[in-house]
Amino acid sequence: MRKHIIFFLLVAASAATLLQTSCTPGSCFEETNAYVKATFYLSSKSKAAAPDSVTLYGAGKDTSLIYNKRTSLSQALMPLDASTDGCTLAIRINGVNDTISFSYTTSSHFISKECGYTFYHTIEPPAFTTHIIDTVTVVKNTITTLSEENIRIYY
Amino acid sequence: MKKTYAYIISFLAALIPLSSSGQEANQPPDSVVVVPLKIRAGLEISGPVIYFTNNSMLNLEGFVTTDLNEKISVLLGGGYSDYSYSQYNYEFQTKGLFFKAGADFNLLRPEMAEGKYWAGLGLHYGLTRFTFETPSFKHENYWGIVSSSLASQTNWGHYVEVSGGFKAELFRNFSIGWLISLRKLIYTGADKDLRPVYYPGYGEGGRSLSYGLNYYISLNIPYKKIKVKIKPEPVEEPSGDEETEAPEDSSNLGRQRIGR
Repeated sequence: MRKHIIFFLLVAASAATLLQTSCTPGSCFEETNAYVKATFYLSSKSKAAAPDSVTLYGAGKDTSLIYNKRTSLSQALMPLDASTDGCTLAIRINGVNDTISFSYTTSSHFISKECGYTFYHTIEPPAFTTHIIDTVTVVKNTITTLSEENIRIYY
Repeated sequence: MKKTYAYIISFLAALIPLSSSGQEANQPPDSVVVVPLKIRAGLEISGPVIYFTNNSMLNLEGFVTTDLNEKISVLLGGGYSDYSYSQYNYEFQTKGLFFKAGADFNLLRPEMAEGKYWAGLGLHYGLTRFTFETPSFKHENYWGIVSSSLASQTNWGHYVEVSGGFKAELFRNFSIGWLISLRKLIYTGADKDLRPVYYPGYGEGGRSLSYGLNYYISLNIPYKKIKVKIKPEPVEEPSGDEETEAPEDSSNLGRQRIGR
């Protein structure tokens, strides 16, 4: 009996050790950027409608485009600059230029052991030009990695 | 005739005590096992071993258990953890103390356990007091790379633990064993946006459940002996029905034959 029990003990312990050592850390598969998720609306019909084309870039970074004449874009992902408390994005909708300026506070957020940290933001109602944009409304002012609508751009 | 009746009655009367004494003989009386109750003081040994191969994690843990009876013992445990982790985009450090209290249940029968073997489950409540910080992290997006850090903060964590495993007395009053533990964090004072990567005593904080495998050695001090009644397994007497009953398959075959 004693031999059987000790044998079982050792075998089970060895198996468990193998199981434990085989569990290596995984890779990061989660969203790590907190974007302002902007949905396009036709102001004349008050319903969601993708513009014919959208170009988006950060003010002063026109050589680095976020979207370049993107078609069928119903929701734009707008990155915010975590190193400051405000930034401006230039947006060209159907060939007409506008800007949207965001003011926000920034806080750190832990995603996971594999992914590390990101920044969340809380935005104020944005300032914008009105060449093609009619208005911009805030739906949810906390900008996180979750897939949820933050602003609506009526054009 | 009267003599014949008297003979039959006296014979039956004589049979009654014989038959009843025969039934008692078929049911063996309860046996008694003497089980030593022990106080055990033990150490977790995989923590220091892991530390020699990976000095980013030190886990020191000890416990004291006291047998209340042959099945149940109470546990008091505690330890210290010092954990650091770094990868390409952040560094994390934590250290702190943890305490555990609960009960362990031996599922082995007393005559099998003999006060030396334990295979069972433990239910524990854990409490950890820890300090953690993120000395540096960086995040990259369209606007560039932003580096930052998070200052040190001290918090409490509460968790429950269910353990299962095996312990055996290798030598006189010296046991080894292992436990697999599943833990659920039920409260942490840390900001929900800044959960620690690791909680001392609990494990990794990113998951809703944490698991761990621990190896223990312990010194056992017998302090009392108790007598435990062992109910014998009922002896099954072969019944006449079982002997005469045909096997199911053959009865089915019989029915099939009849059907044809």
